[in-house]
Amino acid sequence: MGSVISIRGLEKHFGRTVALDGLDLEVASGEIHGFLGPNGAGKSTTIRILLGLARASGGEARLFDRDPWRDAAELHRRVAYVPGDVSLWPNLSGGEAIDLLSRLRGGTADRAVYAERKARLVEAFQLDPRKKGRAYSKGNRQKVALVAAFATPAELYILDEPTSGLDPLMEQVFNREIARAAAGGATVLLSSHILSEVEALCDRVSIIRAGRRVETGTLADLRHLTRSSVAFAHVPGQESAVESLDGAHDVVVSAGRVQFTADSDRVAALLPELGRLGVEGLTVAPPSLEELFLRHYGDDPAMADAPPSAPTTGAGAPR
Amino acid sequence: MGLLLPLLAQRARRDRLQLALWIVGTAGLALMATAAVGSTFGDETEREAILRLTIVAPAILIFRGTPNGAGEGEFAVFLILAFLALLAGLMSTFLAVRHTRGDEEQSRAELVAATPAARTLPTVATVVHGVLANLLLAIAVAGAFMASGLDASGSAVAGIAVGATGVAFLAIGLVAAQLFRTSRSANALSVSLVLAAYLVRGLGDALGEASDDGLVRTAAWPSWLSPIGWAQRTEPFAANDLAPLLLSVGLAAVLIGLVFMFQSARDSGASLLPGRAGRATAGPMLRGNVGLAWRLNVGAIASWAVGAVLAGALATTLTPLVDQIGTDAPAIADTLRQVAGPSASLEEAFTVTFFSMVGILAAAAALQAVMRARQEEAHGSAEPVLAAPVPRRAWLGGYALVGALAIVLILVLAAGGALLGSLAADDPAASAENALKSALAQAPAALVFLGLGLLVFVLAPRLTIPVGWALLAAGAFFGIFGEILGLPDWVHDLSPFAHAPLPVGGEVDWTGGFWMLGVSAAAVALAVAAMGRRELTTDG
Repeated sequence: MGSVISIRGLEKHFGRTVALDGLDLEVASGEIHGFLGPNGAGKSTTIRILLGLARASGGEARLFDRDPWRDAAELHRRVAYVPGDVSLWPNLSGGEAIDLLSRLRGGTADRAVYAERKARLVEAFQLDPRKKGRAYSKGNRQKVALVAAFATPAELYILDEPTSGLDPLMEQVFNREIARAAAGGATVLLSSHILSEVEALCDRVSIIRAGRRVETGTLADLRHLTRSSVAFAHVPGQESAVESLDGAHDVVVSAGRVQFTADSDRVAALLPELGRLGVEGLTVAPPSLEELFLRHYGDDPAMADAPPSAPTTGAGAPR
Repeated sequence: MGLLLPLLAQRARRDRLQLALWIVGTAGLALMATAAVGSTFGDETEREAILRLTIVAPAILIFRGTPNGAGEGEFAVFLILAFLALLAGLMSTFLAVRHTRGDEEQSRAELVAATPAARTLPTVATVVHGVLANLLLAIAVAGAFMASGLDASGSAVAGIAVGATGVAFLAIGLVAAQLFRTSRSANALSVSLVLAAYLVRGLGDALGEASDDGLVRTAAWPSWLSPIGWAQRTEPFAANDLAPLLLSVGLAAVLIGLVFMFQSARDSGASLLPGRAGRATAGPMLRGNVGLAWRLNVGAIASWAVGAVLAGALATTLTPLVDQIGTDAPAIADTLRQVAGPSASLEEAFTVTFFSMVGILAAAAALQAVMRARQEEAHGSAEPVLAAPVPRRAWLGGYALVGALAIVLILVLAAGGALLGSLAADDPAASAENALKSALAQAPAALVFLGLGLLVFVLAPRLTIPVGWALLAAGAFFGIFGEILGLPDWVHDLSPFAHAPLPVGGEVDWTGGFWMLGVSAAAVALAVAAMGRRELTTDG
């Protein structure tokens, strides 16, 4: 079980703009790896380097332990790719585009098997393959790229925001296809903004920001980094009592309620204390990944750059 | 009015460069043609001789106009008016489709339609914008005629005739935009209609009745079917009659009325004709990256090929005319010899001149294949191909191959056209051999442009399209017109077309051809090799 993708200290400059600034990324064989980060963080640049469409300015990127720039064509026999913004040939129908890409990838060697797979996917994604590329909506262009990607089995699927533009029903179809590919032992690098998708599919995630990785681990690991949020109806004076409790942070009063965050392993110990205060309308929300993401997506670098092991700054505190 | 102005301003802002180029280019052509009347076509006696030639070979009228006398103004109109009207038509239909169907297809129209401007006002703005553009064009063309010292009233009539033709085609473009779902289809229809109008009028002119002295010709009825024919009927500098233009304006009014009727009856984004469905599965040609490059270029190659066949056929069809030129119009004969070299017989010179044009067509088709590669790269559709097991070098190599194939096809088809035309000649075998050699002689020069285009694509991808066309325009201009214009030899020699072997006077010196073959092979190899080291450059 070696690494399928191994990136160390990857750098990419466009003139003076630094797109990647020492990125590390490790994706093990057989895992579904969530690749997250705000717009402009460098996700697509990383993917383009992995596909040999762009060349690294520094650092090292390895795909199946080979150079993605030099050995691009050979590596691509093992890779399926769905771009974030699918651009189709205006005068080719969707069906022709799918066939062309499948032929290029060598997926049509066994015609019957290919035809069966294509028919199943076209049906599942409810795609009309006879329309010309120009006539498809964004969601339908995305479906053409997805059908082309899944119609030829690959060892590695590189998917750049593959569900943008798809409706929830189609997202489910997509999730099923990913599960099917993963069950067959494939590795998936999934760039996404959609939290539910990541939570449903990914074994591990890496969050990047400004061209660097700021967080990586399993979802359980990451959940540990966040706190539960607790709130109750405000009675004057109580907020100071809460502030003195061990494990309670960032106490604020807002909209008639006292709100604070608590270390997740301290919640149970805090409840009797709150009982003693006689609070009313108590709510406790479990730790959410959203909070973690928002912290990294936020525009205050000091906040995001805080070492993940010591979350001392107020996560999700109102600004 | 308050809502119309911002829409108009947006159109003017978006088109400022494009329309400026169209208008300045068209007026510039008018200026060159009127200036050429004195310099290239000699004095009035020679011009009369040329006009009389058209009795022998009326086919020449297809690309000129109806003769209305040998005066400088009348002769300038005979040379260029139909072509100016053609350009006005193209400018106007592209404008109409760009601001209506083009915006609708890209969903930009939706953004505007959701404001109080609603669905109809943007079309009104496009009509006003188009009419204003044609007004400017009319003024510019009239100015160009006057700048050559022609009288003001005739110049004004010529300008107005060109502008009115533009307005008629503006309306035709607007109707086409209502009919189709994509701007590509709408442009295809309206461009074919503009070209059809040009050819129908040419047919009418050629079939027309010549006056006894052979200097004036009354076009036959087909010319009345064409807005370009109506423009010619104004007979600038002769009759100066604006009445035929009522037809253009009337047609425009009726069609624009129809456009608003259509538009109020359909949904935004919908079209009157349903979009055509494509194939559900790819055919056997669409097998790899070369098949894709071919498929993406075949339409453009076909249209260049049509031009090549016509040029080839004309080269030999008009041969009977050639002997008469020698005796009746020595100025033209000199011009032809300057292109083909002093040792050429007049007939050979004539064929070579036509095949220089074919060489330009072939080079254009090859450059367009390179430009297609650039468009694929810029629009992102090259990405999925390169993410499949297709090496970057092979990807570019596919476009180079298609470009070379385009050159061969176009030259062969032009030679085929010449062969058909030569059946009527006195000595068909000699005429055909001359045509084949002339076609072959153009291949190296066209290949040099393919190589240069590929090099630009690899070294400065963003410049591929503008530099590609500029190279071709400069090469064509200096190579073919350089000597006529009396430019220094070294300028002339910069152009590959200047080194094309000239199959004249029995012995052919192919040295220049072999040199150019070597140069282009090296350029193509270098470009393809360099592609292995170059990243994709996606943004515009």
